[in-house]
Amino acid sequence: MNQPPEARMGNDIARQFAHLPAPEAAAAIARHIENFWTPSMRRTLESLVAEGEDDLDPLLVDAAGRLAMEIPGAS
Amino acid sequence: MTLQSIWDPEVDFGTPAVRDAVDTVSVSIDGRTVEVPEGTSVLRAATEAGVSIPKLCATDSLKAFGSCRMCLVEVDGAKGVPASCTTPCSDGMVVSTQTPAVQELRRNVMELYLSDHPEDCDGCARGNCEIQAMAVQVGAAEVRYGRPATRTEVAHPHAIDESNPYFAFDASSCIVCSRCVRACADTQGTFALTVEGRGFDSIISAGGTDFLASECVSCGACVQACPTSALQEKSVVQLGMPTRSVETTCAYCGVGCSFRADVQGDGPDAKVVRMVPSKNGGANEGHSCVKGRFAYGYAAHKDRQLSPMVRDTIDDEWRKVSWDEAIAKVADGFKALQAQHGVAAIGGISSSRCTNEEVYVVQKMVRAAFGNNNIDTCARVCHSPTGYGLKQTFGTSAGTQDFKSVEKSDVILLIGANPTDAHPVFASRMKRRLREGARLIVADPRRIDLVRSPHVEAAYHLPVLPGSNVAFVNSMAHVIVTEGLHDEEFVRERCEDADEYLAFIADASNSPEAMASATGIDPDELRAAARMFATAGNGAIYYGLGVTEHSQGSTMVMGMANLAMVTGNIGREGVGVNPLRGQNNVQGSCDMGSFPHEFPGYRHVSIDHVRATYEQLWGRTLDPEPGLRIPNMFDAALAGTFRGLYVQGEDIAQSDPNTQHVEAALRAMDLVVVQDLFLNETARFAHVFLPGTSFLEKDGTFTNAERRINRVRPVFPSKVGMDEWEITCAIGRAMGFDDMRYAAASEIMDEIAATTPTFAGVSFARLDELGSMQWPVYDEKSTGTPIMHIGEFVRGKGKLMETVFVPTTERSTRKFPLILTTGRILSQYNVGAQTRRTPNNTWHPEDVLEIHPADAEVRGISTGDLVDLSSRVGSTTLRAQVSERMPAGVVYTTFHHPVTGANVVTTENSDWATNCPEYKVTAVQVGVANVRGESAVAESREPADSHA
Repeated sequence: MNQPPEARMGNDIARQFAHLPAPEAAAAIARHIENFWTPSMRRTLESLVAEGEDDLDPLLVDAAGRLAMEIPGAS
Repeated sequence: MTLQSIWDPEVDFGTPAVRDAVDTVSVSIDGRTVEVPEGTSVLRAATEAGVSIPKLCATDSLKAFGSCRMCLVEVDGAKGVPASCTTPCSDGMVVSTQTPAVQELRRNVMELYLSDHPEDCDGCARGNCEIQAMAVQVGAAEVRYGRPATRTEVAHPHAIDESNPYFAFDASSCIVCSRCVRACADTQGTFALTVEGRGFDSIISAGGTDFLASECVSCGACVQACPTSALQEKSVVQLGMPTRSVETTCAYCGVGCSFRADVQGDGPDAKVVRMVPSKNGGANEGHSCVKGRFAYGYAAHKDRQLSPMVRDTIDDEWRKVSWDEAIAKVADGFKALQAQHGVAAIGGISSSRCTNEEVYVVQKMVRAAFGNNNIDTCARVCHSPTGYGLKQTFGTSAGTQDFKSVEKSDVILLIGANPTDAHPVFASRMKRRLREGARLIVADPRRIDLVRSPHVEAAYHLPVLPGSNVAFVNSMAHVIVTEGLHDEEFVRERCEDADEYLAFIADASNSPEAMASATGIDPDELRAAARMFATAGNGAIYYGLGVTEHSQGSTMVMGMANLAMVTGNIGREGVGVNPLRGQNNVQGSCDMGSFPHEFPGYRHVSIDHVRATYEQLWGRTLDPEPGLRIPNMFDAALAGTFRGLYVQGEDIAQSDPNTQHVEAALRAMDLVVVQDLFLNETARFAHVFLPGTSFLEKDGTFTNAERRINRVRPVFPSKVGMDEWEITCAIGRAMGFDDMRYAAASEIMDEIAATTPTFAGVSFARLDELGSMQWPVYDEKSTGTPIMHIGEFVRGKGKLMETVFVPTTERSTRKFPLILTTGRILSQYNVGAQTRRTPNNTWHPEDVLEIHPADAEVRGISTGDLVDLSSRVGSTTLRAQVSERMPAGVVYTTFHHPVTGANVVTTENSDWATNCPEYKVTAVQVGVANVRGESAVAESREPADSHA
């Protein structure tokens, strides 16, 4: 399975928070990504979500939406 | 000045110092009064008082033995002439060491020793045989019984055993004092030596074979303990005695042993005669291993590169150039890439083998001169989960204890670590405590040596399957909580989120029975081990890369922190969560701000006031966003957005996972700059090579796994004309950032101290005065913090985390039915760049694949066969070693040799939080190789695609 790195890593993060209630999990995923990913990686993730990349964890999709809202100028 | 110091061996006090004595006693020795801790021997007290008592079988690294009868004294009011080494001081004791009676006795005894000690003893001639010195001291001018003129005339001559590459044993010079036997047993804990025969027939024996074929691990403790030259470093025989010594720190593992480099000569031509472990070294207290003690020859190896070199493409030949030309090419090239592709198009990787000062200036160069946070370090691929997990739970990214703490442990939980191979000097400390009665629980798929070795046997060996650590640690905590064995008071008073955690962990899904299919551990065994850990007294957790290098590495670190908190095993001696760090300065490189999201002292780049500190000092606006991690750099390089890389002292083409991916990324870059001692695997893809300096040339500090900041001092000047920090600063300045000017490395530490609260009280002057300090050192009144989180965690309350077990996506399949896990071996270090260029290759000339007999049998594999090892990303060929150390279904290899390239088969899977590679879990297949001959190994590395 050759996923884009941001999708693979994002899914890995999402699986760790899957035990939490969905909104809480998405917020935690977004917080982690914001703390440790570069802006360009975050933009790539948002693009993957926008383009409907296969096999993205729904929690990651939710988190990416939160990132887009938090980053001024992000898509 | 250290460089000019004369050779002055450390004083031998005869018996060890007494630790933890409550009271002192006052004694009079030859009229001199001295106050010593209760329990101190008369021999030691005399030495402290400046009174020299002759001795042969006594040395201060070993308990008193009382056999040589040289240290006899008279004590007022006592009968006879007791041995001062075995006689403890008592208050008011009056001792005489030079009465006619004891002098006569000593002379008589010495005559007997000399009657079988050859006059042509090499050590006596060189001046490093204590027999000679003691004979002079006791006045044994004549030997009434005659003395053998040559080594062949001693009572029972033996051939010299020169089998070990580093030292020789000449029995003719041996006085059978047993210091070597006791050093091997008590200090090292290997028990390889014994005394065979009786009387004149007595001889030291390495178990009936030569040293090389024996159980000897070449730690050098026996050589150091030998009072004669019977056991002698070959380098001393070859070069003679040293003329000066330099106190410095080992450049191998994260134990960070202190050494005295015994040296001949000054300046660039100075030669290291030997490395002797320092008794005052806080980490090692006089002990060493085969790497630090003997494997330093790489610093003068013919492969060492001493000139800067450049080339236009990686297919061109290297061209030697001046430093100015090399630095200009780097700076101009990086600036051009940024102009064309953006500020974020370049980055740097700092080294855990370089000093704190060298690492600090690399991250400073990246943040201020490059203008981004694309700085990462090789801790990414080893202990980055430690930093993350311990910061989340305890509030700081480091282990909680000093090494000495293990002496107070009652039960030790060792997870995913093999200290006898990877951290041997600490392993010796641990084994000593285990021999004293502490219990040991080993959680590791391999049956490592500590599971059962001489006088050490684990109470439980839990062969946890690769990838299931979190299931294991949760099960341990589940048993403890559900059986009411947890420390309720500690949890309630010192931790937060207690209710949530206790409810989570008590859930039946975390029980050993529920997790057994994942862990592979018998639930009853796990329950028994958990009860022992919770109830046996001080419980300490030690762990290594078998924890961190997993997709849930960070979760596991937090799980272990949970276990320590829930049992109240934090904040005092004998307990704690203790990472056994891989490289000598991996702790320091992390401390110094080598991660792309953190400034020095683990402060996030987004914190305004922290960023303001550096912006004000450096005069540059700094990026508030995290930069690229190493694997992100590779991905970005393949995407075409990352074009230039500065790599300091790391061989990412050999050490990082999925070699094909790494090599493709390196090939994709326009400018790769490698700074190293050797043209390593990564240098094959470099356009500029900047020669680095060995630890013997460095001036600075290393920080070991117990947060101990040790001085590294130059034995001789840089062989390449510049110090490494000067090279980095020159690049920074050439890129237009002028605030990279220091007159000496000490000034860099001064800047670190001025800007990093945990280093505020650190300076070279204080380290020289105190020997070492363990951070945090919050001010100049502090001498450091050996034990952390006493009374309160750094973050206030410890955070109990819900560590849900999430299985790795890397699974065994029909095509790849085995799980590969990788690790290290005693004689080699990391990618082998240093140790492969020493006689340590004697023990481990190639990487081998350990495989269980059942797995080998069904594949028709025997020990010594060449086998193909393949995964979904690549394949390689190496030699098999059928071993019952492995559980069925799991194979193991090391990655010390580039020719086998173990990382050709490891994958891109990584820890979810830190991207630390999942080296410990790769689904593989193994089969007898179709290739023949010695060249087969080198020719066999292929990406998976070519096997279609």
